[in-house]
Amino acid sequence: MQRIISITLLLFPLFAAAQTRHTVSGTVRDSASGETLIGASLLLLEQPRSAVLSNSFGFYSINVPVGHYKLVVSFAGYRTDTLAIDLARDVALNVQLNSSSGQLQEVVVSANRNDANVSKPLMGVQKLSVTEIRDIPVIFGEKDILKTIQLLPGVQSAGDGNSGFYVRGGGIDQNLILLDGATVYDPSHLLGFFSVFNSDAIKDVTLYKGAIPAEYGGRLSSVLDVKMNDGNSKDYSASGGIGLIDSRLTIEGPIQKDDGSFIVSARRTYADIFLKLSKDTNTNRSSLYFYDLNAKANYKLGDKDHLYLSGYFGQDHLGISNSFDLTYGNSTGTLRWNHILNSKLFSNTSLVYSKYSYNIGVTSGNNDIGIVSFIRDFDLKEDLEYYISSGNKLNFGFDVTDHTISPGNISASQSSNFNSLNIQNRHALESAIYVNHDIAISDKLNMNYGLRAEIFTVLGPGTFYTYDSSGNPVDSAKYGSGQTVINYFNLEPRFSTSYKLTDNSSLKASYARTTQNLHLLSNSTSSNPTDVWIPSSNNVKPEIGDQVSLGYYRNLKENNYELSAEVYYRFMQNQIDYKNGAQLIANTNVESQLVFGHGRAYGLELYARKKVGRLTGWISYTLSRTERQFAAINNDSWYPATQDRTHDLSVVGIYKLNKKWTLSSDFVYYTGNATTWPSGKYQVDGQIAFVYTQRNGYRMPPYNRLDFSATLQGRKTKKTDSYWIFSCYNVYGRENPYSISFEQDPSDPSKTQAVQYALFRWVPSISYNFKF
Amino acid sequence: MRSRYAFWGVVLLFSCQKTVTLPLNTAASQWVIQGEVTNAPGPYTVTINQTVAFYADNTFPAVSGASVQISDNQGVTDVLTETSAGNYTTHTLQGKPGNTYTLSVKIGDSLFTAASTMPQPVALDSVTFDHSSAFRKNDITAQANYQDPAGIKNYYQFIMYINGVQFTKDIFAFDDRLSDGKYIVQDLRMDSTYLTVGDQLQVNMYCIDVNVYNYFNQLAQSGGTGAFNTTAAPANPTSNISNGAYGVFSAHTISSKTLTVY
Repeated sequence: MQRIISITLLLFPLFAAAQTRHTVSGTVRDSASGETLIGASLLLLEQPRSAVLSNSFGFYSINVPVGHYKLVVSFAGYRTDTLAIDLARDVALNVQLNSSSGQLQEVVVSANRNDANVSKPLMGVQKLSVTEIRDIPVIFGEKDILKTIQLLPGVQSAGDGNSGFYVRGGGIDQNLILLDGATVYDPSHLLGFFSVFNSDAIKDVTLYKGAIPAEYGGRLSSVLDVKMNDGNSKDYSASGGIGLIDSRLTIEGPIQKDDGSFIVSARRTYADIFLKLSKDTNTNRSSLYFYDLNAKANYKLGDKDHLYLSGYFGQDHLGISNSFDLTYGNSTGTLRWNHILNSKLFSNTSLVYSKYSYNIGVTSGNNDIGIVSFIRDFDLKEDLEYYISSGNKLNFGFDVTDHTISPGNISASQSSNFNSLNIQNRHALESAIYVNHDIAISDKLNMNYGLRAEIFTVLGPGTFYTYDSSGNPVDSAKYGSGQTVINYFNLEPRFSTSYKLTDNSSLKASYARTTQNLHLLSNSTSSNPTDVWIPSSNNVKPEIGDQVSLGYYRNLKENNYELSAEVYYRFMQNQIDYKNGAQLIANTNVESQLVFGHGRAYGLELYARKKVGRLTGWISYTLSRTERQFAAINNDSWYPATQDRTHDLSVVGIYKLNKKWTLSSDFVYYTGNATTWPSGKYQVDGQIAFVYTQRNGYRMPPYNRLDFSATLQGRKTKKTDSYWIFSCYNVYGRENPYSISFEQDPSDPSKTQAVQYALFRWVPSISYNFKF
Repeated sequence: MRSRYAFWGVVLLFSCQKTVTLPLNTAASQWVIQGEVTNAPGPYTVTINQTVAFYADNTFPAVSGASVQISDNQGVTDVLTETSAGNYTTHTLQGKPGNTYTLSVKIGDSLFTAASTMPQPVALDSVTFDHSSAFRKNDITAQANYQDPAGIKNYYQFIMYINGVQFTKDIFAFDDRLSDGKYIVQDLRMDSTYLTVGDQLQVNMYCIDVNVYNYFNQLAQSGGTGAFNTTAAPANPTSNISNGAYGVFSAHTISSKTLTVY
């Protein structure tokens, strides 16, 4: 390993002057709980280019010439700390920041050095602070990161009852969702009303929409990197909440004070208790609930080594009477080993397991059948961060994932209408190496460029078919276990740069290529937990996305206001759609049902944010277009994708009324989905049928919604806290259409009508939250 | 699959519905041709009419004066006569399983042709009733009982007559992709409660060819009622009639059972 590193070093020029240089490095933590702080800003006042952000484990390293310096450490929600250091040799300096919450921030205590949005070249990045999202009203009153990111520019909601989201016109499956490094395949509970992320266990949420760093790959549109809390390493604590629909509990504490800690969070809904009260036997034997569990433990093995073990397990259960049963959920496990090789070189090795599965049981009469399907990953990742010198950092590593997909294993009894069927598993290996260089070329110009090289290898055992244009298999080839069926090699260059126009404004530009080899097949408007994932194959090529973006960023009043305007253009190749009447479920030949084409998306994102003061919040507006072109659809002409939303506006306001009450509200407006509606009708065999002329030629009515929430702070001490949240989702009760269907008028058979279904009108909720 | 229905049935617990008036365009009027040949004694009928606007009345203008003929692959050609506006009937043609029938329609200068092969007959053994609906109390579902022949791709369609009136609210078209060779008890589940004890029910089971099955299967997916209609891309079903006409030409066998609902 040391030899490889020295050879790599020879390829990069050192910017150091001839004088001796030393390194100050260490970890940034919360002084009360010991939690590492991710993305804290550190700067040596005398060396402006030395600005660095603490990494995913709170580690930082700054290498500068010998001298006396003032190290300024800042992070949102914490009091900025300034430390004097004498850099006559390498210094190990761990920093503990004190929380500043509980104070009304009318007066800015010191210069808010958090200008990362202006000075760092990465663009299209949004970080969410978990403390901030506590006050944002969300359905059922429970804070939810997936719902909150939909209030940011460029991120669009898939609608009520849908957990998915679209980033810059991409599809629902084009977002890589990571929980402590493990892929989460279905981030939703209960048909999309809740996400799988229990905010009590979450420390950091970062969304990459534009210049995705080279260490990430596998999905086209975005990366949502969610990191869990490590657990309070100083003291035991329990926190949680009780609400109308669900309750949650978190317990955390030290394994050994300051050296190790654990955290366990659990959550369960009980909406179906109301079902049990019904007199109707079909209803009271039905069930609808989910539960999830997050657990993590970490331990410091020495000054240079730290071990982390984290896991997630969640399940949704939907049962109707005794006849139908659907269980689905994700489980993940991650083992990570941090090793500090020297003051400039940080290594993280991860071993990851991830599985998503669903299980359907039908036991009504002669339809008894059981269907099991899963996708399972084993992943080995090595990430190295080399802090060469101030303003010069290198990231490199590799990532190998073994995917196994079982599309459907159907078991049926002898008397059932159905035959047992086992659709053969698919096996693939996704391997990547990457290198990324982050460099301050001058005081004004920063560059971040990298390359990711990916090989996707489809492996046997299995039989692989080729199809004719009607979808009939014309050829098949049988492969043995471990034999290579096909390899797809892709190079993904990533580049971004920022140029500081003034101290608090900058211009940024970026280009990124991403590829995707796992594809989610879903031909309905709402995502189902039983949608099918397929890997690339001899018939299905990897999706490729190229995105360029340009942006202007401006901070006002000591970084207390952030303004930005970003434009982007993305071209997507090898996009997937479906033939008319496609059979996607339990189909050995599902690849015969697919058609291929390409897409493009472009838009303008405007964002204004106030971070400090009694009133905080933001306004985000996106003007955009996303289109597709398929030979098999709309005569090969460009047409709007379903998720094309011309306008998307979100306004969020949080107002600290006094020490007890915080009020907040958000308003959302967006253009409706592009959709296909009839342009006429006729009769076949007595049944009314509709004339369709164009895919997505019409628009759903626009969506808009106002939510209110009020938080009543109870008694708060150093160790205990309690607060009530009262909220109302959809305050003016607008019936936002979930779907529109067309039918004969039941009261007048000589007419046809359109019927609109809306999911929610007013949804009030109350929850009590505590910490001790 | 049925799981999707059960799934969204729960969604309905929350939803509210209302009728809306939408700004729908009207496409240029198209010909709609529907015809059948069965293994029951003739005559058989071909109807030709036109599409209308969505908000117009459900009266579809009949098309008169077309030349219609049906021939089989054994040299028999029957030239149909228009017996009432838009309805053309055969004279001597007798449907036989295994034959391929070709329909040819000339309207003005446009020619439309279709071909359909009549499958071998499968008998409908009996009709039973299921009272255990998970969704609606007092729901009665008719069940067709029959043996699916193994090793052949079979496609079935069911038409029901309740007290002599054809039930046209739902389409029942099934394949044997997952049930080849099994003895099938097929639920004919309706979208609402239509059957009551004492009704006179006639169930016709058709064996149809693959193109006719694809047509009705796609028609059922695009035209689903209620919140279940969540298909992202409704489209005109692929018709086996050429030159852009809507409708379908089906050569099918019939096996029928009539009984009182219990």
